[in-house]
Amino acid sequence: MTMETAKRIVSLLLQRGVLIAVFLLLWWYAAVQLPSFVLPGPERVFSALVGLVHSVTFLHDLGATMGRVFSGFVLATLIGTPLGLALGSSRALARFFEPILAVLNTVSSAIWAIFAIIWFGISDATTIFVVFMTAMPLILTNVWQGAQTVERQFIDLARSFRMSRWQVLVKISLPSILPYFFSGARLAFGFGWRVSLVAETLGASDGIGYRLRQAADLVQSDQVFAWTLLLVALMLLLEAGVLKPLERWLFRWKTPSR
Amino acid sequence: MNAPSSLALAVPALSLKDIGKHFDGLEALRGISLDVAKGEIVALLGTSGCGKSTLLNIVSGLLPADRGELRIDGQPAASFRDWRRIAYMFQEDRLLPWRSIRANVAFGLEAERSRRAERIVKAEQALRLVELDGFARAWPHQLSGGMRSRVALARSLVVEPQILLMDEPFSKLDPQTRAQMHQELLRLQRFKNITVVFVTHDVEEAVVLADRVVVLEPRPGRIRAIKPLDLPRPRIPTDLAVSEQVRQLRMAL
Ligand SMILES: Nc1ncnc2c1ncn2[C@@H]1O[C@H](COP(=O)(O)OP(=O)(O)O)[C@@H](O)[C@H]1O
Ligand SMILES: [Mg+2]
Repeated sequence: MTMETAKRIVSLLLQRGVLIAVFLLLWWYAAVQLPSFVLPGPERVFSALVGLVHSVTFLHDLGATMGRVFSGFVLATLIGTPLGLALGSSRALARFFEPILAVLNTVSSAIWAIFAIIWFGISDATTIFVVFMTAMPLILTNVWQGAQTVERQFIDLARSFRMSRWQVLVKISLPSILPYFFSGARLAFGFGWRVSLVAETLGASDGIGYRLRQAADLVQSDQVFAWTLLLVALMLLLEAGVLKPLERWLFRWKTPSR
Repeated sequence: MNAPSSLALAVPALSLKDIGKHFDGLEALRGISLDVAKGEIVALLGTSGCGKSTLLNIVSGLLPADRGELRIDGQPAASFRDWRRIAYMFQEDRLLPWRSIRANVAFGLEAERSRRAERIVKAEQALRLVELDGFARAWPHQLSGGMRSRVALARSLVVEPQILLMDEPFSKLDPQTRAQMHQELLRLQRFKNITVVFVTHDVEEAVVLADRVVVLEPRPGRIRAIKPLDLPRPRIPTDLAVSEQVRQLRMAL
């Protein structure tokens, strides 16, 4: 590490520290002015958070929500990717199905949640369905877009070595599409995660969304804030600990920008 | 006469008869007839746009001709099955950006069932041939244009082709590296008796490498002249006989 990068990191840490301090200070000041069911102070929220993490159902709720988000997301990937590839490989097919995609993209997740409750009632399937309906079009669209950018020249290179259609798909098309898939999947996961909470407030009897509604019904604002903090922390951890490193490794062959 | 291994009687490695090709309204090739003997080196010389790449695309089997007949080892292209014996080095290097240099070279070997370790060994040998063994683990974007085209050459050679088609293979190299690659190619070509058809803009390169030079002219692309070169080898560009031949060919263009 050079002197320059070390300096940059230190200054970044300082900035973040100041930002957090300012945020806590404003929060604390506002909480003093307002009734605690509207805005609980930082110390109340932190003690609620500690209580939450130590509660009996915490791991169960976290696991339930994560399981639903992952199931919906994996289903969306398994179905959205081949569909995107198919649309990318045939212009006629793409033109035919384009309106359906436009419709899917405009229907709000809340509407899917209502339908899901009618169809599946209070069950895992409700949340999984909503995550799926939100994530699938995003993955499909991105894979489709990527499939249109696959270089003809690379396909001809593979053909010159007499590779099979399957080999062309695996060795040329999929690597070309991967960056598009990755950004689509990231978007889909983020949205899927958020809508899962909405779905759970309506159609689940456990999970984070259900607990949030429960806390709201009982006017336990500190609980709501504690969950919110926890979710934000989890997302940041996922981004910095998994997605960023994964992206850097997957696309290490790219020309460094700048 | 009982000439030992008479070239005239042997089946040509490549045989083109009256090949023609249109792109929409444009007539890219007309009446191309040419036999290439096994182990022969043929240079295609001509201005850009006269259909040289199109001709190689047809011979490689990637592009169907509109008319005419292509035979490989005496077999009509339609029934020819052994296309893997033909390697095609494109005008662009076409290195896959997501593969390391070594994995790019090994790419062609993956068409057939083979062991990974074996592919790696072969790829590294081919990289040594083009003097890039130090770059096996680099990414394509880290290499200069000349280095990239040497990687493309290694990728064509690693499959041990019997027929090698090359589209302006050395155009991006500096003169010294180019001369070096010429010698390497000739050594390998003689050793394995490879049939080579290559495109070039460089008359001197054609004279140094080729047994015959095919001069093409544009609109529509057709053969203007075929010049056999029976200069002794090795041919050094500064030799009188070689430079005289270059001068004559330039005049003919
Ligand atoms: N796929 C194609 N579609 C339409 N026109 C093409 C195509 N490929 C080549 N051409 C045209 O055919 C002519 C010959 O091209 P090319 O074979 O690339 O020439 P060269 O390699 O000798 O420079 C050019 O006029 C080019 O524009
Ligand atoms: Mg060309």
